[in-house]
Amino acid sequence: MISIDRSIIFQIINFLALVALLFRFLFKPVVQALDKRSNHIREEMDKIEKEKKAVEELRLKYEEESKNIHIKLQEMQELANQEAVKIKSKIIDEAYQESEKIKKTAEEKARIEIDKLFSELKLDIIDISTEIAAKLLRERIDVSKQDELIEQLLEEAINKIEIKSDIQYGQQ
Amino acid sequence: MDNNNQKIVKFITPFPMTEKQKMRVKSKLSRIGNIDQMIFQEEVDPSLIGGIVIIFGEMLIDCSLRTQLDKMKEGMI
Repeated sequence: MISIDRSIIFQIINFLALVALLFRFLFKPVVQALDKRSNHIREEMDKIEKEKKAVEELRLKYEEESKNIHIKLQEMQELANQEAVKIKSKIIDEAYQESEKIKKTAEEKARIEIDKLFSELKLDIIDISTEIAAKLLRERIDVSKQDELIEQLLEEAINKIEIKSDIQYGQQ
Repeated sequence: MDNNNQKIVKFITPFPMTEKQKMRVKSKLSRIGNIDQMIFQEEVDPSLIGGIVIIFGEMLIDCSLRTQLDKMKEGMI
């Protein structure tokens, strides 16, 4: 027969009572504290996650904005380049037109100057030719030539006067 | 200028006129006027080169080579 010592039973009861007491006054608050801590950590983690997400969104937003700014900068650069090309083309056109104008003016001036020189040269040639002709005639005119000249030129002049007189007489 | 209906007729030639030339000129002038009423004057102007210039009242008959040359010169200009 198994004999059970009463002290052991008493010790078991004490132990169970201790466990109950520990459970009631120690484990429960500790578990509650741990739960609370765990919840706090979870909340902190959620908060961090949210902040991380917000930072990520912000990063993406900044990246997008940066990309837009880059595109805008490229567009502006392109517009500036196009404008520069237009201005360059305009300046070249204006310079060309100006040079053409200067060229035309210079050509016109040169033409006028050449015409003037030719006119002066022509007058000089005519003067010289006339003087040479006068000199040659002076050297060759003698009494018989003078007779011929008077005869021929005066005859023509008198004829003209006679014709004119006849016409005037006819009109009267 | 006029004296008893007489008119002064001036001959201008490059050198003095011969009698033959004077006769010829007068003969031609008789076709346009009465030479009996003309008083003839002579003048020498070597610049005329050849021919004759006759000043007859208000009429100028220029038959000089100088004038012919000048006309030719004007034509060329």
